[in-house]
Amino acid sequence: MKLPRGRLVRSRVVSSLATPLRTVLDRELTGYARLESQDAMLLDADGAGVLTFEDGVPAVAYHTGTDAGGVDALADIAVAGPHRLELYELDESALAEVHDADELVVPPGLAAEHLVGDGDLADRLREAGPEDRTAADHDRGLDAVASFLEDEERIDSIRDRARAEAESRADEWGFDVTDGG
Amino acid sequence: MVEAFAVASGKGGTGKTTSTLALGMALADSHEVTIIDADTGMANVLFHAGLADVETTLHEVLAGEAGVEEATYERFGMTVVPCGTSLAGFQEADPTRLRDVVADLAADTDVILLDSPAALSSRTAVLPIVLADRVIVVLQPTVPSLSDGLKVQEYATTYGTGIAGLLFNRVTAEEGIERVADKTERYFEGDLLAAVPESDAVRAARRASRPLLAHAPDSAAAAQYREAAESLTVRSGESTAVADRFRSAVIPDQP
Repeated sequence: MKLPRGRLVRSRVVSSLATPLRTVLDRELTGYARLESQDAMLLDADGAGVLTFEDGVPAVAYHTGTDAGGVDALADIAVAGPHRLELYELDESALAEVHDADELVVPPGLAAEHLVGDGDLADRLREAGPEDRTAADHDRGLDAVASFLEDEERIDSIRDRARAEAESRADEWGFDVTDGG
Repeated sequence: MVEAFAVASGKGGTGKTTSTLALGMALADSHEVTIIDADTGMANVLFHAGLADVETTLHEVLAGEAGVEEATYERFGMTVVPCGTSLAGFQEADPTRLRDVVADLAADTDVILLDSPAALSSRTAVLPIVLADRVIVVLQPTVPSLSDGLKVQEYATTYGTGIAGLLFNRVTAEEGIERVADKTERYFEGDLLAAVPESDAVRAARRASRPLLAHAPDSAAAAQYREAAESLTVRSGESTAVADRFRSAVIPDQP
């Protein structure tokens, strides 16, 4: 997916994409976000996620590291945070070509549901998005979930890290740890 | 006999409180059920159970200002221990006393449901999971919710708490849920108990300050909660042994 660089609107490390998605919607921004994982522990942290916007509403998604597009790319981006976010503004004409690529399209509410887990924001985006793209929103959401559940290595890494976190905090919090539980 | 379940999700907005009360009412057909609002920083049970005006809540009990019996209310066929909403009440509450509250209540009930905080970031937030025998993990069919549900499971099993089952909640694409249900079960130690549809009945019940199974017992969502309760096998234990176990749980004083 080739995009012109555009005008840099902001660049920062974010632990949640809730605020950036809200800002983009409130400003009705047309352009794209480049999301580079800051978590070197992730197996496939190479590359970056790209999410484009049309009038503040997510339009297409792509991941340069996994070469996934559409909802699969959202699944790759979702568990890769915290991210370095670079937000660029672009003219709509510069995005026309990629926005026509069906395999990259994401239903408007899905980015909020799968990147942030925010149902209210997802509803706002669905209302703001074009009707033809909102129709299949819910059903496509399960594609992202299915894609996530296919990735056993990633899920193992989430579980391993949570377990390590729970064990290290057990000392701090004074909880007993079960051997081999 | 008593078994304590933590109803947990790791993330907010999954409908934990709705689920806790709905499962509680469904289980109350065949068991003595006690519901405790263990989310002491973000109390919700009182609003769902028509208890918003009560004077004494778990906050006062945890602050050492009231006995447990003063904060228990018989509602909808269950014993309900709500939490208050004031910041002062929260600040004065000593969460480690929750262990004694659970131990006291364990003597007179079959099932304890702990509505748990939507976080794993502090000892207070994790405490209900540690105190419970098993966790019921409430999931939405989204990537962040599943990811957080997996974390809840790892915390629980690390601290010796089992997984009783999974509940998919706020399901919008009902026809498609089956294709992710099997894959989800592969990663969790408990079975999928039910898939509860997103429903106007749930919102209406919340507005009416009544549990879903009291407000809309014939709704599709209510039917799924009853199915979940039937799929759940409550394990019996001697209540005195359980009470002793809670009292002896190793929880040191706040640093």
